Amino acid sequence: MQSLYQTKTAKIVKITEQTENIKLFEFRFEQKSFKFSHEPGQFTMLSLPGFGEAPFAPCNSIGKNLELCVRAAGKLTNKLHTLKIGDKVGIRGPYGRGWPIASAQVKNEKLKIKSLEGKKNLLIVVGGLGLIPLRTLLSDKDRFLDKDSIVQIFYGAKAPEEFLFKKDFDKWRADGIDLQLTVDNECEGWDGCVGLVTALFDRRNVVSDAKAFLCGPPIMYKFALKKVKEHKFKDENIYLSLERRMHCGVGVCQHCAVGSSYTCKDGPVFQYSEIKDVEGAI
Amino acid sequence: MDSRQLKNLFDYLGKSWLIFGPKEIKAGGGERQISIELLSDFDKLVWDERLPFYSFKRFFVPEAEGLFKYRNEKLLDEPAQSDKIAFFGMNVLDLRSTLLYDQVFREDVCYQQRRSNFLVIGHNIMPNLGPAVKPQVFDENMLEHLSFDIFFLALKNSIGREGARDYAVFAGSPKGQKVLDNFGYKDYIKVEFKGLVKEGLIIERMQMLKDKLENHHSPKIWEELGKRCIECGKCTIACPTCFCFRIDDEPALKEGEGERERCWDSCYYQEFSEVSGGHKFLDNTAGRIHFWYFHKFARIPKEYNMLGCVGCRRCAAVCPVGIDIKEVLRNIEQS
Ligand SMILES: Cc1cc2nc3c(=O)[nH]c(=O)nc-3n(C[C@H](O)[C@H](O)[C@H](O)COP(=O)(O)OP(=O)(O)OC[C@H]3O[C@@H](n4cnc5c(N)ncnc54)[C@H](O)[C@@H]3O)c2cc1C
Ligand code: SF4
Ligand code: SF4
Ligand code: FES
Repeated sequence: MQSLYQTKTAKIVKITEQTENIKLFEFRFEQKSFKFSHEPGQFTMLSLPGFGEAPFAPCNSIGKNLELCVRAAGKLTNKLHTLKIGDKVGIRGPYGRGWPIASAQVKNEKLKIKSLEGKKNLLIVVGGLGLIPLRTLLSDKDRFLDKDSIVQIFYGAKAPEEFLFKKDFDKWRADGIDLQLTVDNECEGWDGCVGLVTALFDRRNVVSDAKAFLCGPPIMYKFALKKVKEHKFKDENIYLSLERRMHCGVGVCQHCAVGSSYTCKDGPVFQYSEIKDVEGAI
Repeated sequence: MDSRQLKNLFDYLGKSWLIFGPKEIKAGGGERQISIELLSDFDKLVWDERLPFYSFKRFFVPEAEGLFKYRNEKLLDEPAQSDKIAFFGMNVLDLRSTLLYDQVFREDVCYQQRRSNFLVIGHNIMPNLGPAVKPQVFDENMLEHLSFDIFFLALKNSIGREGARDYAVFAGSPKGQKVLDNFGYKDYIKVEFKGLVKEGLIIERMQMLKDKLENHHSPKIWEELGKRCIECGKCTIACPTCFCFRIDDEPALKEGEGERERCWDSCYYQEFSEVSGGHKFLDNTAGRIHFWYFHKFARIPKEYNMLGCVGCRRCAAVCPVGIDIKEVLRNIEQS
């Protein structure tokens, strides 16, 4: 029996600056025979002994090297930001339950999920780092969704320079994704929408016959939920990825508990109807 | 088995195991209390209705334990070493809490390694929890829902005869049988574990509390408790079923080396639910105390089909502001 907390060594092979304090790291695992694979929306634990471990969502395309996009936020992440190509980290996971399209994908790579179990289209509402756990899905849209499904993204950031994965935007748009951006405040050189991500609901036609996927900072959920509900999304068609403090990642330490569920094991993605009655979940 | 033979068994085990058991010690203030101590002398062993002040938790789930030594990015899988320990005289309530540890840590190598070196010896003398609570009564049917290696049932007619009791002996595992066989005692009864607590009444009460906690929010209870609780965390330390933990790194002096540890944590502490950006999901005392009760009376029952409380009242005994679990549960029931 191997320890639940053992990690696999991975070497940093590429670092791309995304914003002033966010970097995209690409990793290659030391053990050649090991193939990392994840479902969109799951997370891994990254470890730098001496600096601890924390959860991060893989955002690479299926079959490619593991990529983690990390904001420098404290002890571990600040240290990670000082590392160079060739430096090594420990990774365990992936863990948890991702977006609802994901599980079927793993059972059969060829199988495309017909109409998202009843709903054809997809509305993605994200703020800040919330786009990270959706990138895998977006880069491989046709693998996960019907060709004629409409994917609409409402993506809010503090300022234009805070948008992540800007290099991917053109490809996503070429794939037919309706990417709508907004920034918190007016600023020079920005002629797009200004306001919180919820403002986009009032200024754009919201895709219908869709599921909604929500991911962002804790305060975003209340407001985003209100908006999607105004647009007649039913609770069982709304999915949220929750952020919680995590230590074990495998449903033991209790830090991430939400009601009778664990964010690390039963989430991080929950159907809204599963958690709406749990106090403090949102 | 009579008391003389019991002493012989104690001495026999002492040759290959460290024996820990209940012993009377002087606590601060000259008060006497029962504590789980290393024993070399059978006469110091106390088997009576006094509950050990602290439970056996720290042996099963230590306050801090090394998961790995590390060197740079590598976590070194060194075979863990642990002592062979015989727990000589665990009361039924503390035995019940081991069922929970075994469930929670069933996939945990460190725990399993340590656990495999334990010999658990129980007895049926039920703790007296003070005048306010009806003492629980031992019933032989409980045996098949407890996990132990050897169990001693003090025979009725011998109770009270200080130092000269007679016991019926039960073996609950191959390990227990082997120990008794090798010791040369053949007159034991084998008990097969029939799963977690199944007694009808307990299950009924468990379902009711779970249902109340999950579906009938009664914020008043928690607001009121939130005003009284000072978040000292003493109840978490004393409670045998509180097992929440953090994982921390302890750097050694040498650059790049140290130890990754699992340490007790408490949901009463502010950082417990804090994420980056400083947001705390449990952001007030009422919320945290609710989390504590929810874990024991809703989440554990759902996950393991057992109560997350063995009814030992240690939490009430240590609480500086007099929060009493019995009253809280009554309030939940009546809510
Ligand atoms: C499922 C999930 C996926 C995530 N994905 C990403 C991602 O893709 N990119 C990204 O940049 N961030 C992500 N995060 C957030 C990231 O885990 C935190 O920013 C990180 O823990 C900060 O660690 P630190 O040691 O640098 O900060 P610290 O110095 O430890 O503290 C900074 C803050 O982070 C909190 N924190 C500490 N440890 C944890 C922990 N284990 N879990 C949660 N919060 C913690 C602290 O309470 C403190 O408020 C994710 C979080 C979750 C729960
Ligand atoms: S009575 Fe209190 S200390 Fe004892 S198991 Fe229950 S919650 Fe824990
Ligand atoms: S012992 Fe009492 S005061 Fe201290 S944390 Fe527990 S309930 Fe609160
Ligand atoms: S992170 Fe430990 S229970 Fe979820």
